[in-house]
Amino acid sequence: MASDGPAIASGEWYPPGSGRSIIASLAERGGRLIVRDESGGELAGSMLPSIEISSRVGRVARRITFPDGSTFETAENDAIDRFLAGKGRVREGIVHRLERFHPRLIAFVAATILLGVLIYRFALPLMVEVAVAFTPPVVPRIMSASTLETMDRTLLGDSKLDEARRGRIVEGFRRVAALSGRGEAGYTLNFREGGPLGPNAFALPDGTLILTDELVDLAGEDTEMIVGVLAHEIGHVEHEHSLRQIYRAAGLTALIMLVAGDIGSGAEDVLVQGGGLLALSYSRSAEAEADRHSVELMLKAGLDPGALGRFFQLLETKLDDRSETSILSTHPGTPERRKAIADWIGKARKRLE
Amino acid sequence: MAMAGSLPTQSVGGRSFGRAAEDDFQRLSFTGSGSEYFGIWIVNILLTIITLGIYSAWAKVRRNRYFYGNTILLGRGFEYHARGGQILVGRLIVFAYLVIYNVTLTFVPLVGLGLGLLMLCFVPWLVARGLRFSARVTSYRNVRFDFAGRAGGAFLAFIVGPVLAALTLGILTPLASRWSYRYIGNNLRYGQKAFSTNPALGEIYRSWALSAAILVLGLLIVGFVVFLVTSLVGGLTDDVDVASLGSHLSAIVLIALGYVLVLAIFGVAALIYGAGVRNVAWSAATFDGRHRLLSDLSRLRYTGIALSNFVVTIVTLGLMRPWAAVRMARYVNEHTGIRFEGDVGEIFSQIDQEGSAVGAEFMDIEGFDFGF
Repeated sequence: MASDGPAIASGEWYPPGSGRSIIASLAERGGRLIVRDESGGELAGSMLPSIEISSRVGRVARRITFPDGSTFETAENDAIDRFLAGKGRVREGIVHRLERFHPRLIAFVAATILLGVLIYRFALPLMVEVAVAFTPPVVPRIMSASTLETMDRTLLGDSKLDEARRGRIVEGFRRVAALSGRGEAGYTLNFREGGPLGPNAFALPDGTLILTDELVDLAGEDTEMIVGVLAHEIGHVEHEHSLRQIYRAAGLTALIMLVAGDIGSGAEDVLVQGGGLLALSYSRSAEAEADRHSVELMLKAGLDPGALGRFFQLLETKLDDRSETSILSTHPGTPERRKAIADWIGKARKRLE
Repeated sequence: MAMAGSLPTQSVGGRSFGRAAEDDFQRLSFTGSGSEYFGIWIVNILLTIITLGIYSAWAKVRRNRYFYGNTILLGRGFEYHARGGQILVGRLIVFAYLVIYNVTLTFVPLVGLGLGLLMLCFVPWLVARGLRFSARVTSYRNVRFDFAGRAGGAFLAFIVGPVLAALTLGILTPLASRWSYRYIGNNLRYGQKAFSTNPALGEIYRSWALSAAILVLGLLIVGFVVFLVTSLVGGLTDDVDVASLGSHLSAIVLIALGYVLVLAIFGVAALIYGAGVRNVAWSAATFDGRHRLLSDLSRLRYTGIALSNFVVTIVTLGLMRPWAAVRMARYVNEHTGIRFEGDVGEIFSQIDQEGSAVGAEFMDIEGFDFGF
């Protein structure tokens, strides 16, 4: 009969599925790990590999489950760790050793912040680019078709423009579209009555452009101005802004969800709102990019590159839109856009000389 | 020792019936510390980022084991038994669904909407499953909890209730709260014994009235200030034409400020209400038909802790979050208790595990996490 080793740890033993506890201690007996009561009687025992020992979390009581379902519970975490280390099972406690309060945690904080910034600055844009590159062309087509259908049903009406007026706009549009990256076939221009949208023009990701009667009326006889606006919309399509925006928003939400469990619901809401503000800043830079595209396309087509700027001036005078850029707006402030357009024209002209 | 505060049983016998002194209750305590949890917390986040989110399932296990294990009743802690793998599978399924749902919603809106509606039909079932999972992976003194609620009850408590509350602008919120507390409280089991609760609607309404008053008064004040400021600024710009830039800027600041204020008012009202309902529902609950439960949160103190926790977390860019979480757990635990009728040792020695609760857990996945 093998004799008992010294007690490894003391605690309480529960029979399988029972809330009745017995004061007991853990010991080794003849190569087996056993739980014995105060008089030394064996309550449970087994070979070590068939025993489940819960991993250490802070100072939380350790649970040792035997194959018969009975459990030994002890608060003596260090004793259990020493025992496991003696059996060569040091690696099991690695996560706990990382978690211990130690100056090393400062490095962990720094690494976490650094990784967060790196992911936001580099990994997220990269992922968006990869997603855009791998999106089959059928996706923007389906997306655009269903968007146009929905808008036609809910917001837009049939255009009431006369043929001659349309003809002039389409002619100018063809000149710029032919010089764009996707060519003339890459775009279709649709005339609609804007209804609640008012004077507006927008581009769907597959190259479907929509121009409202109200915008045409606002422009009056200045067809070139309308072409400038359409060149801006072509810019959105060429730079694939809508797809990028969708992927970016999805990626950012996924990132926030990733750490969400550990920051509390209030702070999580703040992050989501902050993500919304960042998306707006992205939208503003997309608008600026499209403005610039309009300037360059109009120059190439031998049209007035300042046509879009004239449109913004018109907005300022007719609609009294003098809004400044702020972190809460989707578009840059109108005066600011006009100034940027003038700058680009100057630069582009210099390049041509 | 967590027994502190209990009175010898003899003195209880001397008391007449009626509302017993609070000292008769065995209160929970929380033995965790902010510095200890900080390590667990930062390692959780770091490993989650490094493993591209996969570790988050194991992070949840460690977090819950820490909080459950440090929740002490009568000198013994609760235990959380879920495994990382189970939680990961549940999360992958939810994640896959969200991806499919969002993709179809973006590209084929009508099909996406259909998918959303279909999902809505499954929500009650998922909630019931999730609650059962949470209960079954929780144990105290080697005996697991269980949850017997079904989809029908979850539908009433978590779909009909909130919808009704929203449609009546919050007037029927107490009814919805009562349904959800009854659904959880009457279906919770510990071993083979059941919990039950029947919070009185009148008491919930008394607690609701304070929140409603804060909400209405707060919104009125904000509305009045906004009205005052806009008419003031409006008057200024009428006289002076140059002020446009300044007024635009101040208008934006004002809108942002108003937005934050309105959110804060809703937040405070919700916190106060939540604490009040918890008090009513827990204090109306019994375990095994005899042992009364207690919750005596001070609504003001609870709201103060929640708000200051939020501010401290934001100001320190999240670094004080572990401290805040521990602080809240300690306060809530210390104001939660149970009064055992009879000898505690005898009561627990009679409680045995119900067979079905063990084992079945391993077939289960977490699903949606609603928590208690």
